[in-house]
Amino acid sequence: MKRALRALLVCALALSRQLPARAQALPSEPVSIADGHVTISGDVSAAFGGADTGFFNYTDYEHSALRVFRVDLTTAVKLNDHVSMLGEVRTENVGPLQAYAFYLRVRPWARRAFDIQAGRVPPTFGAFTRRIYASENPLIGYPLAYQYLTSLRADALPINANELLGMRGRGWLSSYSIGNPVPAAGLPLASGFRWDTGVQVHAGAGLVDATVSVTTGTLSNPLFRDDNSGRQVAARLSARPIAGLVLGTSAARGPFVTATAARGAVGAGRDGEFTQTAWGADAEYSRDYYLVRAETVFSEWRVPAVGTPVIDAPLRALASYVEGRYKIRPGLYAAARLDHLGFSELTGSGVRTTWDAPVTRLEVGGGYSILRNVLVKVSGQHNTREGGRVTSLNLVAAQIVYWF
Amino acid sequence: MTPRPRPLVIIAALVILAVTALPALPGRAAPLAQALRDTGTIRGRVEVRRPSTPPERRPNVADLGAHVAQSDVSDRLTSVVYFDSAPRTAAAPVPGHAVLDQRDERFVPHVLAVTTGTVVDFPNSDRIYHNVFSLSKTRPFDLGRYAAGRSKAIKFDRPGIVRVFCDIHSHMNAFILVFNHSFFALTDAEGRYRIDNVPPGSYNLVAWNEGVSSGPQPVVVSEGGEAELDFALR
Repeated sequence: MKRALRALLVCALALSRQLPARAQALPSEPVSIADGHVTISGDVSAAFGGADTGFFNYTDYEHSALRVFRVDLTTAVKLNDHVSMLGEVRTENVGPLQAYAFYLRVRPWARRAFDIQAGRVPPTFGAFTRRIYASENPLIGYPLAYQYLTSLRADALPINANELLGMRGRGWLSSYSIGNPVPAAGLPLASGFRWDTGVQVHAGAGLVDATVSVTTGTLSNPLFRDDNSGRQVAARLSARPIAGLVLGTSAARGPFVTATAARGAVGAGRDGEFTQTAWGADAEYSRDYYLVRAETVFSEWRVPAVGTPVIDAPLRALASYVEGRYKIRPGLYAAARLDHLGFSELTGSGVRTTWDAPVTRLEVGGGYSILRNVLVKVSGQHNTREGGRVTSLNLVAAQIVYWF
Repeated sequence: MTPRPRPLVIIAALVILAVTALPALPGRAAPLAQALRDTGTIRGRVEVRRPSTPPERRPNVADLGAHVAQSDVSDRLTSVVYFDSAPRTAAAPVPGHAVLDQRDERFVPHVLAVTTGTVVDFPNSDRIYHNVFSLSKTRPFDLGRYAAGRSKAIKFDRPGIVRVFCDIHSHMNAFILVFNHSFFALTDAEGRYRIDNVPPGSYNLVAWNEGVSSGPQPVVVSEGGEAELDFALR
């Protein structure tokens, strides 16, 4: 973490030298070059938290959301009034740069809210994916629906219900008999950290916005290259009936099991049958100094029934959270999120229980803006899980965020 | 029982008072008029030599669609020229009232210069929420979120520069320059400024644009005269 902190300071200093001295030392606005045709913005964050021995906050096997140094650089290249290229590269813990987003945005009519986006596009589904950056997250942890790793995998399948139940609470590193034998992290309900590839159409009219997309991967397993024969279709509808209130609903459906894993389970040509179907609803209301958000995501995965005791029903999960933020004084706020992730039941040999261990998280914290674009956050989490090696864990974390 | 004075009696008394007081007024106003005749003017031009770019939005790749681009840079060329300290003979500034509107996801005007004690209204003229705030040491404030048609106000009691932002729309920003005297002026579209009613004397003037200031430049104003001083800001 010392290396991460040093890198954060070096980045901040380097960026501060890119622009002439203004009212504050660090740039607070995106860097605009080529007569405004190229705009670059960035988000740099470093989180320092306690050891998450229960893997409650891991986004994959290596990275915990409470112990990560992340740099995002975003670029928009405006080719003309109708066409732009948008891209984002990201590095975590000073690792290799990864292309998080890269897509072409076409707006056929400059004054109409109608856009076509193609490439590695932002998720159509849900509300939280619009504010995944540390500067827009009032706390340090992420909602369980978008981060918590269930024991289910796309490239490896349990041979029967017992094998799946044996992985309850071990989503951070699960392994199964069919498909990829190497232990690896499971799938979240919706990935907040990888984006899918495809085409997206968005239209807005007055108080209503609608988006539809066709992509290669699925909500829980976004992909750059497809690994099965199907496509995901996703849609989102949001409305702003009154100022400060946003209501949204989303849906997505697509095959999530890799062709290799499906072939290993039931033979070739049937990978399109094993789908993830998800529904979501979200609401946000803000006024004066407070902001309240609630979101729920329901997901259903269909997996092959291979051996006995068979997995005889779709595997379902429901994640819901409510979060609030209150501004106490200029630059200072308090925030809290209550989050629960539950699972449907499954019958194994002599036991009937949820197919993964339900998780509940309460996170309370706050933030203080040292500058308008330098934010320090502190939060405490209480995590409980009805299974796994660690069933209860309290964690404290701090995060520093810089953006321009 | 004391009889109540009749309205006609009160009016007559007021008329008599006014008639007796009037001849004294020209005599009292004369020193003021003479003082104004003796004051001078400073005028000139501020040239902003660095390129001005329109306020760009952060390219949020998570958005599902584009936003209408803002392309007006004229308000970023507005500069403020001010005395670095008030003339000794200057009267205390009179607190005023000013408006910083929120319109089309912009603060209008982008630069506001006021005297200490001025109350600034922040009306929301958009259909969406805004959240005006400042973390400046001069006057930190946060007005919270409020909808179209509503307005909130802040009194600026201390001199200094207040950078104003919207917590919801990061591309919205404005400057409020608060002075403890009234010897300042904003430049027009051509960068010209004019400060009137300057008592004769030697002064130091500063030009400011978008957080960049010139060094203090000396200028001498003669009785009833006009001094010229140009600035170039890089």
